[in-house]
Amino acid sequence: MGDPRVSVRSPLVPVVWALGSATLAYLLMRETNISVIQVGIWAILLAEASLVSLPASSGNRLSLAIAVSAVLPFVLISNGSIDLAAAGAASAMGLLGTWMFRTLRSDPAEEVMAAVLRHGFGVAAYLVVFAGSVSLAENVPVLAGTDWVRLIAFSIAASLWFLIETSLWASMVFGRNRLSRRYLWLLAVKDWPVVLSLLTTGALFGFAWGQPEDPVRLGFWAIVIAGIPYGFAHLAFYRSQESRRTYGQTIRALSRIPEVAGLSPKGHSDRTSGMAIEVGQDLGMTPDEVTDLQYSALMHDIGRITLNEPSILKMGFTDEDIARWGAEIVAEAPYLSHVALLVRQQHQPYRRPGEERDLELPMASKIIKATSAYDHATMELGFSPLEALEVLHRGAAYDFDPDVVQAVRRVLERRKVVPA
Amino acid sequence: MQLHGAKRRKIRIGGLYAVLGAAVLGILIWRQSFPSLPLWLAFAAAFAFLEWRSVEVNDRLLMSPTVMVALTAAVAFGPDKAALGVAAMAALGAGSADDFRQRRWFQPIANLGQMVVTAGISVYILEWFLKRAYPNGVEGAIPDTFWLWIAGGSAIAATVYGLINYTFVTVAVRAVFEKRDLRPWSNLGQLLPSYLLMGFVGGLLGATYTILPVVLPLVFVMFMVGYLSFASYGQLREAHEATLRGFIKALEAKDLYTRGHTERVAYFAQLVGEEVGFNGTRLERLRWAALIHDVGKLAVPRDLIRKKGKLTEDEYEELQLHAHVVEEILAEVEFLRPMVEIASSHHSHFDGGGYGGVGHTRGEQPSQEACILAVADAFDAMTSTRSYRMALSQDYAFSELRRHAGSQFDPGVVEALARALARSTERYGSPHLASEEEARRLAEGTQVASHG
Repeated sequence: MGDPRVSVRSPLVPVVWALGSATLAYLLMRETNISVIQVGIWAILLAEASLVSLPASSGNRLSLAIAVSAVLPFVLISNGSIDLAAAGAASAMGLLGTWMFRTLRSDPAEEVMAAVLRHGFGVAAYLVVFAGSVSLAENVPVLAGTDWVRLIAFSIAASLWFLIETSLWASMVFGRNRLSRRYLWLLAVKDWPVVLSLLTTGALFGFAWGQPEDPVRLGFWAIVIAGIPYGFAHLAFYRSQESRRTYGQTIRALSRIPEVAGLSPKGHSDRTSGMAIEVGQDLGMTPDEVTDLQYSALMHDIGRITLNEPSILKMGFTDEDIARWGAEIVAEAPYLSHVALLVRQQHQPYRRPGEERDLELPMASKIIKATSAYDHATMELGFSPLEALEVLHRGAAYDFDPDVVQAVRRVLERRKVVPA
Repeated sequence: MQLHGAKRRKIRIGGLYAVLGAAVLGILIWRQSFPSLPLWLAFAAAFAFLEWRSVEVNDRLLMSPTVMVALTAAVAFGPDKAALGVAAMAALGAGSADDFRQRRWFQPIANLGQMVVTAGISVYILEWFLKRAYPNGVEGAIPDTFWLWIAGGSAIAATVYGLINYTFVTVAVRAVFEKRDLRPWSNLGQLLPSYLLMGFVGGLLGATYTILPVVLPLVFVMFMVGYLSFASYGQLREAHEATLRGFIKALEAKDLYTRGHTERVAYFAQLVGEEVGFNGTRLERLRWAALIHDVGKLAVPRDLIRKKGKLTEDEYEELQLHAHVVEEILAEVEFLRPMVEIASSHHSHFDGGGYGGVGHTRGEQPSQEACILAVADAFDAMTSTRSYRMALSQDYAFSELRRHAGSQFDPGVVEALARALARSTERYGSPHLASEEEARRLAEGTQVASHG
């Protein structure tokens, strides 16, 4: 997943953007009476923070710059009004610095541009809504003058920022498999714990920093308050990334064992899972469902390991046995128990003669059945893609779900291996 | 941290802890007043939630970021209320829904007692610092350095919390499971820094709350992040274990004989590892390496397995080649790499000869782990029944191991296994069979009339 790329190809775009934000920063600086040095410090902090990032489950990397930007309205508030010009100037300069630093680090240009644009729009909305909510809340008699004003403004503005970031991400990523906007957006929304941790880090810093009228203020000591919780988040998300990677690597390693043992055709599980993912996405599965589908497709033949056992070879076996043995192996990982269920049911027909279609049968199992059969037909039996698709169509009475077969056809059309 | 599982002498320990807990609670009720109820309820809910979702950090020892919640709450409650408030929270967090469902009485009672005492004493220490932090009282002017007193005091209180809690748990576990050696003090070294840090953070969050009550929702978000951090530790641990279990299950599915063999080799390897002073990660890694030492078999082609009689030189080469392929696939799983290296070099000899695997170059002495695995594997091979011969006696196995010590096997490891088995008084292998030929003849069913 991941691999966010914005469809900005022209070299002119960064130039126009850089000039634009420099001009914006200059214009905004003329509107504020806060010193250039102070604004500059926040801009540098923002740019530096963009180099530190937390891995999120979508594969997107969310940087600490979110936390620094979240701090801005807190440190630029006095007597219930926020110096928007200073906050805007700091953000514009900071994003310019982000772009420079990340380019110097030789991050992919498209990725940097996309991240900077997303952050720019998000933070602009955050600052404006924050300021607006503060002035609105100050007019509510119960809230006026209390600290709740900042908390409420922060909550509203931060939620909006999250929505804007995720929607922009979903529209900027151009899918390798023509993923739908909805799918991408769901993928981005799954990162909420990371975003929440970053925003909370920023807000905690902001509150501890204090405003000029507060009797006790921590000032820059607030870094300690915000920094240690950030450390927790850092540990948490890096470790989750590591465990996701461990599962991914394990599943790949397991899926290759029957192949190197000569018990199933080389590359079969990889090809089946590649196609299954596309079919699943075509059928509107959510990112979580697609991940389960990917894992179960990779492991659908793992039960064949058992075929090495001489006694089993003597007794003979069926597809049902392969599915059962495979599910038993997969079920060893509690995290994968639902994947085991999908592996278990992969061989079942979607409908039996004289019966209604089996509504209990998971979509993933039906997809594996069809895509695995397609791969078998094309790679083992030497059928052309069109002939293989014909095999699926003919099996649509009982074996293969017609909806899945239609989706396979669409995927093949998109891959341009069968005529549209 | 909570106690988990129970067998004997529960009543005495449970009773003692409960009485201690009741005494501390009684003193606190007499000396202190109860904090504001809504605030207490909010913290108590967070505390109970996190306590019930503790993460297993070490064999049967559970941990969670509750100490952070307890100390934030203590600072938020303020002096002369904190100890009572936190002790009451601790009492609430002691029993879990699981305990009630399974009608366990020992754990909730013992935990209730020890957690009340732990919380009461450590928060009482924090209160001393709180009084230094607010020289003019909580309502009066607060000096700028107040948060240093609070965070520092909270870090100390958390360390004390960790020490007392650990002592209680260790005493109870020792008393109830007599034989289990938890090696507690070596673990404590790893645990205390995290208590210190959690105390410091908890104190800081509490201090921020004192000057700005509005941050309370953010503080609770931070508790969640702290929880995620612990949960991710558990997840990673589980990911590793699940991975290994998957491979072991695959191995067993392939070859039922392997099951007993793998488990015994892992057991012998662990015995030797403990004997030569391995602990923690190194010991665990050795055990896991032993559990996957035969994983190369997974990819052995059908015709080789089905073949009867001795393999030719070429076939043996092919067998090793397949084992290599699997080991390379396994080494792609990052965390398995060190274990695969141990496992794959367990056929190499102590003097550097023999067949080397991924982690071994010919002529070099293999790692100590690989030497241990080699001895454990050979010992079990001799003392268990194979398809072509009956099990041999333990004495015969040791005489063989000693004969090849220095060349094939590490002499230190052979003696360590002998010492460990002598101490455990366990015996393996047949009681009398003392020669390879006899064992083979017996397996073939040809009874021998006499032997000398």
